[in-house]
Amino acid sequence: MVELQGVSVVYGETHALCRVHLKVEPGEFVFLVGTTGAGKSTLLKLLYGAVRPSEGRVLVDGQEVNRLRERDIPFLRRRMGIVPQDYPLLPRKTVWENIAYGLQAIGYSQSAVRRRVAQVLAQVGMGTRAHAYPHQLSGGEAQRVAIARALANNPPLLLADEPTANLDPDTSWEIVQLLQQINLRGTTVIVATHNRMIVDRANKRVVALDRGQIISDVPRGGYPAELDKLYPPVALVQDVPSIKPRFL
Amino acid sequence: MLHRAQFILGETLTSLRRHGMLQVAAISTACVALILLGSVGMMLYKLDAIAQSLPRAFEMEVFLKPTVPRARTLELQKHLSTMPEVAGVQLVPREQAWEEEKRRYAEEINLSDLPNPLPDKLIVRTHQPEQLPQVAARLRAHPDVDEVLDQRETLEQVLSVSRLVRWLGLSLASLLMLSAFVLIYNAVRLTILARQLEVRIMALVGATLRTIRMPFILEGMAQGGLGGVLAAVLVLLGAGLLSDYMLKLWPFLNDLPPGAPATLVLLGLPALGMLMGGLCAWWAARRFIRIS
Repeated sequence: MVELQGVSVVYGETHALCRVHLKVEPGEFVFLVGTTGAGKSTLLKLLYGAVRPSEGRVLVDGQEVNRLRERDIPFLRRRMGIVPQDYPLLPRKTVWENIAYGLQAIGYSQSAVRRRVAQVLAQVGMGTRAHAYPHQLSGGEAQRVAIARALANNPPLLLADEPTANLDPDTSWEIVQLLQQINLRGTTVIVATHNRMIVDRANKRVVALDRGQIISDVPRGGYPAELDKLYPPVALVQDVPSIKPRFL
Repeated sequence: MLHRAQFILGETLTSLRRHGMLQVAAISTACVALILLGSVGMMLYKLDAIAQSLPRAFEMEVFLKPTVPRARTLELQKHLSTMPEVAGVQLVPREQAWEEEKRRYAEEINLSDLPNPLPDKLIVRTHQPEQLPQVAARLRAHPDVDEVLDQRETLEQVLSVSRLVRWLGLSLASLLMLSAFVLIYNAVRLTILARQLEVRIMALVGATLRTIRMPFILEGMAQGGLGGVLAAVLVLLGAGLLSDYMLKLWPFLNDLPPGAPATLVLLGLPALGMLMGGLCAWWAARRFIRIS
């Protein structure tokens, strides 16, 4: 399904990814974990052609993404669902219209749009909120709508970048459960996250990245110990010595 | 295909409705630029029409030597008629010319008793006003020709003014086109920035570059077209008012050939506006909408 062969990405003098090798089989559920700047988002962007590798090959469904011309990238993206970190929704459109918008943009007929939107809204559990506007949704609901839009074209691959960012633990876990349900229907799911709780609870394949390199890849397990060694969990507030504000 | 066209049209109309102030700015910019362009265009059209009518007013008179017999005059007339530059040659026999002179001065002096002092005269017209000096120069060198009156200086002055106006007009029009281009480009760029979220979502779901860019190009065409319609109406109104005012001041202007027809202005300026708006928008969309 997805394969990276010796892929490096260099932004100026910064190595976002350094000779990364990764293979994801169809139907897998993979967490990409690491701290901010580890290269998780860059790796996902490589898969949907938003970033070009400085070296190496990126294969999606046998197609070499790094060789695609700009005008061919849309056709690659129609075979995947992308949930960006900020789950962008159009503020003046309802939930229903937001999902329909994506389908209309790729040429679906009105009847196909109606059918598909109803299906994905039911799939993500948002059928009753179809006429709500984004500002009327909670963070978790907005994230579900973003996932529904990504799924609307029925893609075999779903890429989610920090889908639980800014969500409370319960809502985060609901989103992960939703992604797991989608995975159970046969969709390959790749999730970039630094949320330790969901990784520990999900017990899926975990690929750990640090400074652009894969430092561990375990078929099932929790948050990798390698990352804990490099970046010990932040101490609780009461453990931090009190700091007096300077100007008070 | 039809569904995509519907989507593109819907996006264009939504954007035209939502970003009111941006639309007003872009349309008024296009309108001002096209008013100036239209005015320069109309001036050039009028000058061109005058220049086209000039050759009729500039014909040369060729006076033959008094000793030249009629047969040689007719021979010269025939020779002139075969020259490619010459449009027509008319013989004014000395007898006819003398009769006309006598009639003209009949009230002042009686010329009947005097011998005819006038020579035969040929009136020569060329196809183009620029050809007149060359033909005149050749005739002056002819042994039977006494004098050639060709109003060369007047002609050259009119032609040089016409050239100057043409160059100034074209330079001004080019500058205005450039400034209108930059202003519309900027307006479209701002629209793209205002609709960044839509662009991003379309790119993420796999809409083609053409689908993403087309609403902006149509929007630019609509802005330019609307600006062009406004400009055409204002230019025609202005030209009508100015023409009435000038005719009252100088009635002889009535003899000049008519200016650009209204249909040409009403169709030409909106078409030019659409072309300009579309090109600017296409350029801005190509530059600011990328998916990789």
